[in-house]
Amino acid sequence: MNLLVLYLLLLKATVTSFSGLTSLPVIHHDLVVERRVLTDRELNAAVAAGRAGPGPYGLYVVSVGYFVAGVPGAFMGLLALMTPAFLIIPMARYVGSKANQPRIRSAIEGVLAAAAGLLVASTLPLARESVTGAFSGAVALASFVLLTATRVDIGWVMLGAAAAGLLAAAL
Amino acid sequence: MPVVRLREMAWIFLRIGNLTFGGGDPIMAAFQRELVERRRWLSPDQYALAFALARVTPGTNVLAFCAAAGWFLRGWLGAFIAVPAATVPSGLLVIALTAAYEELQGMRLAAGAIGGLLAAAVGMMVAAAWNLIRPRLVAGNRLRIAVLTLGALVLLLGFSASPLPVLGLGAAAGALWTGPLAERQMREPS
Repeated sequence: MNLLVLYLLLLKATVTSFSGLTSLPVIHHDLVVERRVLTDRELNAAVAAGRAGPGPYGLYVVSVGYFVAGVPGAFMGLLALMTPAFLIIPMARYVGSKANQPRIRSAIEGVLAAAAGLLVASTLPLARESVTGAFSGAVALASFVLLTATRVDIGWVMLGAAAAGLLAAAL
Repeated sequence: MPVVRLREMAWIFLRIGNLTFGGGDPIMAAFQRELVERRRWLSPDQYALAFALARVTPGTNVLAFCAAAGWFLRGWLGAFIAVPAATVPSGLLVIALTAAYEELQGMRLAAGAIGGLLAAAVGMMVAAAWNLIRPRLVAGNRLRIAVLTLGALVLLLGFSASPLPVLGLGAAAGALWTGPLAERQMREPS
């Protein structure tokens, strides 16, 4: 498949979605059903690969690109993933230019409070999957306490969590 | 706030974007920690703005967040550095994971380490929420912030509302019910 066409198809999927995996139906339709350059099994493996590593779940698009056209295809996926991100800048410029008006500032504070609620709410699906017992509960609690009560670097928290998980699996 | 050096900025986006497991939300929580709490490169307002606008930007939220944060710090150049820095290494890792997918499934130790990282991400997100609102909990503003935050939480969990309308409602409620902190100035991007 032509790399430019692949980029445009993947871009179509990323630009019409608003979070991680909502681009999935578009990709399924275009690449699996219409053009038959990807199988359902490969698409499932791509989603799993995107979730197994660090970074956003949306990275599965890179894996899709890899299945369709190897490493060059993977780079098309990476480009398609990054392209829409820059659309935020005109919006940030516009709102930022109004941000010294007290009412706009007050609205931003309302957004900030809602964002805090949103962060807590989006913890739940992750918690259901990963906080399954006393050990993982202790890791989650330790992470919360370290990040609210101390100024410790977040890298140490993650390294410690990975080491603890490794140790628990080895014992 | 100081001018942020590009190399330092690239390093933070590289580190946070590529070492945080669990998808976009934990990454945005980790950025709250590094950019707002520890380094004070972004004001909480700028963070909230980037967070909310990232939700209405097409594509992957956290990458739009990186573009806005990079732009606040160093303009367009900052954005063009922040987005690839946060994406390319984990993208390369995804290629490797795809190539080795079948073999990786049976690895118990790797699964243990990732389990630890995901559990830590849960604590990290609640911590980020608390750190975000904590500076706003000053006299005369506590009830307002508590109502807005818990109201959002109830809508999301109790009524399964989708995030975008909740953020919009937060903006509207915040604009109508003004607080005592609204007179402070917001920094322009350098």
